[in-house]
Amino acid sequence: MAKFNFNTDISSEELNKSPLRQLWRHFKANHVALVGLWLFIALTILATLAPVIAPYGVNQQHTDALLLPPSWDDVGDVRFILGTDDLGRDILSRLINGTTYTFGLAILTALITTLLGVVLGVFAGMSKGVRSSILNHMLDVTLSIPSLLLAIIIIALLGPGLLNTVWAIILALLPQYIHSVRNLVVQELSKDYIVAQWLDGANSWHILSRGIFPNIYEHIVVIFTMSLSTAILDISALGFLKLGAQPPTAEWGAILSENLAFIYLAPWTVALPGILLFFAVLSTNLVGDGLRSALKKRKAI
Amino acid sequence: MSKFIFSIVILILTGCTEQALINQNNHGLIYCAEANPVSFNPQLTTLGSTIDLTSKQLYNRLISIDANTGEFLPELAHSWKISNNRKKITFELRQDVQFHQTDYFTPTRKLNADDVVFTFSRLFDAYNPYHFVSGGQYPYFQSIGLDQLIKSIIKESEYSVSFELFDAQSSFLANIATDFSVILSAEYAKSLEIDETLENLDNYPVGTGPYKFKDYKRDILIRYYKHDEYWKHPVELEQLVFDITPNSTTRIAKMLTHECDVTPHPNSSQLSILASRKDIKVLKETNLNIGYWAFNTQKAPFDDNRVRRALAHAIDIDKIMHAVYLDNGKRLESILPNTSWAYQAQVNMPNYNPELAKRLLRQAGLVEGFKMDLWAMPVARIYNPNARKMAELIQSDLNKIGITVNIVEYEWNTFIKKLEEHAHDTVLLGWSADTPDPDNFFSPLLSCAAALNGKNAANWCDPEFDLLLSKALDTIKIEERKEFYFQAQQMVIQELPLFPIAQGMRFQASSTNVENIEIKSFGGVSLAKARKL
Amino acid sequence: MALEYIFRRIILLCFMLLLLSIFTFSLSFLFPGDPLTNLSGIQDISFHESDALSEKYKLDQSIPKQFISFITRVAQGDWGISFASQKPIFEHIVALFPATLELALYALLASIVFGIPAGIISAAYYEKWPDKIINTLTLLGYSTPVFWLALLMIMFFCLQLGLLPMSGRVSLLYEIPDITGFILIDILLSDVSYKFNAFIDAIKHLLLPTIVLSTYPTMVLIRFTRDSMLEVLEQNYIKTARAKGLSRSQLIFRHALRNALLPVIKQIGLQFSSLITLAMITEVIFSWPGIGRWLIDSIYQRDFPAIQGGLLAVSTFIILATVTADLIHSVFDPIIRNQTHGKI
Repeated sequence: MAKFNFNTDISSEELNKSPLRQLWRHFKANHVALVGLWLFIALTILATLAPVIAPYGVNQQHTDALLLPPSWDDVGDVRFILGTDDLGRDILSRLINGTTYTFGLAILTALITTLLGVVLGVFAGMSKGVRSSILNHMLDVTLSIPSLLLAIIIIALLGPGLLNTVWAIILALLPQYIHSVRNLVVQELSKDYIVAQWLDGANSWHILSRGIFPNIYEHIVVIFTMSLSTAILDISALGFLKLGAQPPTAEWGAILSENLAFIYLAPWTVALPGILLFFAVLSTNLVGDGLRSALKKRKAI
Repeated sequence: MSKFIFSIVILILTGCTEQALINQNNHGLIYCAEANPVSFNPQLTTLGSTIDLTSKQLYNRLISIDANTGEFLPELAHSWKISNNRKKITFELRQDVQFHQTDYFTPTRKLNADDVVFTFSRLFDAYNPYHFVSGGQYPYFQSIGLDQLIKSIIKESEYSVSFELFDAQSSFLANIATDFSVILSAEYAKSLEIDETLENLDNYPVGTGPYKFKDYKRDILIRYYKHDEYWKHPVELEQLVFDITPNSTTRIAKMLTHECDVTPHPNSSQLSILASRKDIKVLKETNLNIGYWAFNTQKAPFDDNRVRRALAHAIDIDKIMHAVYLDNGKRLESILPNTSWAYQAQVNMPNYNPELAKRLLRQAGLVEGFKMDLWAMPVARIYNPNARKMAELIQSDLNKIGITVNIVEYEWNTFIKKLEEHAHDTVLLGWSADTPDPDNFFSPLLSCAAALNGKNAANWCDPEFDLLLSKALDTIKIEERKEFYFQAQQMVIQELPLFPIAQGMRFQASSTNVENIEIKSFGGVSLAKARKL
Repeated sequence: MALEYIFRRIILLCFMLLLLSIFTFSLSFLFPGDPLTNLSGIQDISFHESDALSEKYKLDQSIPKQFISFITRVAQGDWGISFASQKPIFEHIVALFPATLELALYALLASIVFGIPAGIISAAYYEKWPDKIINTLTLLGYSTPVFWLALLMIMFFCLQLGLLPMSGRVSLLYEIPDITGFILIDILLSDVSYKFNAFIDAIKHLLLPTIVLSTYPTMVLIRFTRDSMLEVLEQNYIKTARAKGLSRSQLIFRHALRNALLPVIKQIGLQFSSLITLAMITEVIFSWPGIGRWLIDSIYQRDFPAIQGGLLAVSTFIILATVTADLIHSVFDPIIRNQTHGKI
């Protein structure tokens, strides 16, 4: 924060650290958040390197091994660590590849949303008068419709499919994003140092890049983690409802709904994608929560 | 001890309601159905899922077929006589058959010849006010050409009806005994004409069967009450409820939680779960049916025999038998199942040979491969317990010879409707026999008439083939008929408008306290005698 | 001032409904296929029918006229017919909506009953073990996909223990006439011999879907109540009260609670939108005969008139619920009425 602090409780060493490092220090102190971060990084690596890591191809069928239980089971097979599904596909390979679809695609979705959301949010925040009023009312309408419903509407228009899901979720998350960024910008604009900059004759671009941006990007990261967890949940929920990824795409929600038929016979085929999904969302939430409380703590100093 | 405490806890949790529910339960049976009925009049459909819900529950036929001996049995007609030239058949009707009394109709008379005349004249007499009602399509009767066969129906006396035919067709009686040939009430039809609500004849049914219609909520339930004055035998159940549950996993789960008493076609992969439960029994019945892969022969490139043959050669049926039928089915060697008396194994049947498939495609000029749609039924049927999975297997097999497959799925009734418009490239479908007569596998599936009304999924019309079928029908001697059917089978496998894949088993799961549910090797289920202990 | 505020809200409501109806109207043209078919729901329109229908739907006239005719028809309850059932869509919606509403209301009630006290406890014991436990549970609750939770519940309570039914609203053998569409009320109003048993049975059917559906809003309310409470506890008047030597419970119940709960009221209204969405998934899994399941089925079947009607009904309901909550909120909170710009 730009405000100068003469509080003597804090060592000068602490004050000399950059805000980013202070943030990291607070974040690090929260062990649970740190575990979340490691999990998050592991999943990201898995998502990018899935085809290399997975022992078999996603849709490779082993007809000699249908519905094998995990390898530690008596009838399991060492070749297939987590067993196979009803078409003889290696579950481990499918789950690893599923990381790319569910988690990786969700990151991509959240990134694109961030890009668009920040641009539009900043625009909304900087604009004044009638334009801003209309924009706000439009936002109000779309904000009252939750993201999943909006995504379902868009899918109703575009037809089911993974790519359509991504578009739908981007469009569905966008209003919330614009709204949050706009609020941040408006909040920042009203601060004294910005007014001082205006008076110094800085133009809009200057104020944005030098004044506002350095002060809000950390908050944007927090919003990013929130939209990421929504994106993961929505992609998988749509996959589960058979409106998103279509089989044989190895998206976790789709795998789950595909394997529902085996819920009694092979519960692990339903359990595993669910657990992974849970961890993916949990790690994102942990990172987001950790960041938020670290930001709060830094501010408190 | 701990078990004892546990059961007490459960008793407390469920106890107070359990007793009463059991009382309520004894009077009613819940049958988990796979799909909404398309109509409550079986004349209008060939869908097994609809027939199961309607035909033997709400209606009766003039005669029926004994599933074991193949002989005809009296039903609404207590006897029948065939003239010497076999062109006139006279049915003598029972005089004690009462129609349903429902919220919307009160019969004033018992069944008589008028009802029979009305029922059949609706099918083929364009002057019958009901002929064009509810779409005016009678797919089964049109496919087998019954509308071309019957010259006239004559009311001989109050309880006697005769059918005059153009040709002496050997399968006529068998067709009269199918689940489609149910008898409707002429009096009810008259009363609807006065109200000008003709379509109610098919939506609010009145029949003579063991149960009468009470309520239908789409996607939720169908409720029947017992028909108190059922002519054949007393009906045990007060209520028969069909719980419409398209998802087969949900159906099984409902069996386990006792929300269903009976469920048809459990997914074969779940049979072991059901079999391991003491409170559930699984019935297994061989059934006259074929699951096939039909090619839309009017669409390129499927109009090319070489392409069809290539596709057939490209798929590994052993894998399908294992993964889809879980080894509970039989590979087909012809278009007829081997239990049919006209069956002949075909030497020409394509075997698994991807190399040959590629060669055939090259000959057809499709070196690059192509993209195609493969329609997979969304419901489990006897002939194909899991079309989606079969489609995925085929998808991966065809991928190896350079064909990209797009799997298409719709809700069952929409699926059938779009199929009838021939909007598909290829489709995984099948046929369960309605009579043991072999013609039942040819005319309804591959005749030109069936191509016209959309039931011929291959959209294949070959006059030569039709001629063969009518020759077979005009013959009485069974050995001669066989010859014709042998030729027909050879022709099908030669031309391959559809590729027969497998014959499935009919499974049915029910609670152990449910008795007397009749499933036969052909036709729909009958719950007339069902009871709960 | 209050009147002006209400007036402004109602103007906003009308504006939102107008935008929504424009969007819904445009769907008929955006969906694949013939707009006439999408509007009316009648497939295979014959030649002479086509003219009559065009006349009725004013398709030969300008877009604004078509739109006005659309609004008139919507207001009259003529929403076209469904491709799949060939029945009027409005009839479907009237029959199905109460089921969804009933489920959502119970879930909302449950989340208020559990969420708000939990949030208060969490704030009262800030950074002590009750707070930590509640926080952990909330985090877990937030991270569990709702369909996965539903499946786990079914696996455990229905299939493993056999305690609860897994589908529908009441055992189908109980024949309950439709009066209000709310199953519990209908049972009480009905004239059947098994009233009591049917009621218990309906409660059992409700239990799991309600728990599943209420999970997410409960988590939101816990967090929101906690944050709002903490914020209030930071304020000067509370600090003053504390300095006066009031006990913690006195502090919270006498002074902080009212102010902390004010924003929560608004949040409760906002929950309707996520409740209705989550209800769609819950309904699909528990075969609950509500509008969500119907809407998703309609998407599978490309039943465009049904999708259109369903969206219109659901979105209108959400907007109405949000605005109503806002108005109720303003009754309790005089400050917001004085804001020049309303925000939702």
